[in-house]
Amino acid sequence: MPKVKAKRQSVSLDMTAMCDVAFLLLTFFMLTAKFRPEEAVTITPPSSISEKPLNAKDGMLTISVSPEGGVYLATDDQLAREFMLERMASRYGVALTAAMKKNYMSSEIVGYPAGAMRQVLSIKPSEAKDKGFIKGIPVDSANNELSYWVGYAKLSNPNLKIAIKGDQNSGYDTFSDIIGTLQAQNINIFQLITSPENKPK
Amino acid sequence: MAEIDSSGGGKKGGGKKRSKKMSTKIDMTPMVDLGFLLITFFMLTTTLAKPVTMQLNMPDKTDTKETSPVKLSETLTVIPDEFKVYYYQGIPTEAGTKLEVTDYSDTGIRKVIADLKKKIGNNFTLVIKPTKKAKYRNMVDMLDECAITNNKRYALLAIDPASEDLIKRSGK
Repeated sequence: MPKVKAKRQSVSLDMTAMCDVAFLLLTFFMLTAKFRPEEAVTITPPSSISEKPLNAKDGMLTISVSPEGGVYLATDDQLAREFMLERMASRYGVALTAAMKKNYMSSEIVGYPAGAMRQVLSIKPSEAKDKGFIKGIPVDSANNELSYWVGYAKLSNPNLKIAIKGDQNSGYDTFSDIIGTLQAQNINIFQLITSPENKPK
Repeated sequence: MAEIDSSGGGKKGGGKKRSKKMSTKIDMTPMVDLGFLLITFFMLTTTLAKPVTMQLNMPDKTDTKETSPVKLSETLTVIPDEFKVYYYQGIPTEAGTKLEVTDYSDTGIRKVIADLKKKIGNNFTLVIKPTKKAKYRNMVDMLDECAITNNKRYALLAIDPASEDLIKRSGK
């Protein structure tokens, strides 16, 4: 009777398929990842113990406040963005060209008085930022343009949620101006964006 | 000398030259490792950057209907300034009203609110009137204190001249 020999098996297995999967996943995640919208200024929000995530299901209108008190507006609703520009331009008598519209849509934020709109939109967003044109939307009682921007955004999408992202060192007076502006339009619920902090005890 | 062999590999000279047979398989293990390492890295860094929010509800200005009145004896007025917090109970114009000052630490304003809340009970209301010099951070801190002490009744108001006078008078 012949001796039964155990068949010797190779220890190395083919990794090609696994490698394919790994890089496919990597490519997928990299392509689907959304870039953080460009910020006109660096804003460090204050910390709070709140753990509620940002609710951005039906669109979000973010009002940012820089440490110097500049007010900036951003929204993830593209239709509302376009609508806002068209209405603001017609209100302030600015003739929109296709190039201006393109520059507007390619920058994430709105942050200039309507008077400077033609000047800002005629150049590329990065150039406007370098030249220091992005100074913020006026919110004082004499010239409250934020009220129009927000009003038109709400007209386009009434479900827009309002988030306020203030720098921790921005003055309270700017914040109360913004709240006052929004309350005048019967917007009473705000989400204040903060950075997480540990709960005491 | 460097020379190109153009003989076509005939039986010239020594033996038949054979190219060495190379294996077509490469070890893919390190590449897989790298791939998964990158995936893990990107996944962790994207989820960590999520912001949190704090909801702020303000009263409806168009709604003129009177809601439940708040007793003045059950309120505490806090006036956050940039580095300190003033607080008082009662009416600012009365001579007997005492203005106190504290800080933003655990043993400061938090203790004051917690103690008073324990004394007064569920009707305790916090009135927040930030000064003109106050920063946004100070207001968020005060709202945070409300969340920490589990106080759901608070009002955010603009500072009035009477309170400013009180601060000036106390000289703190």
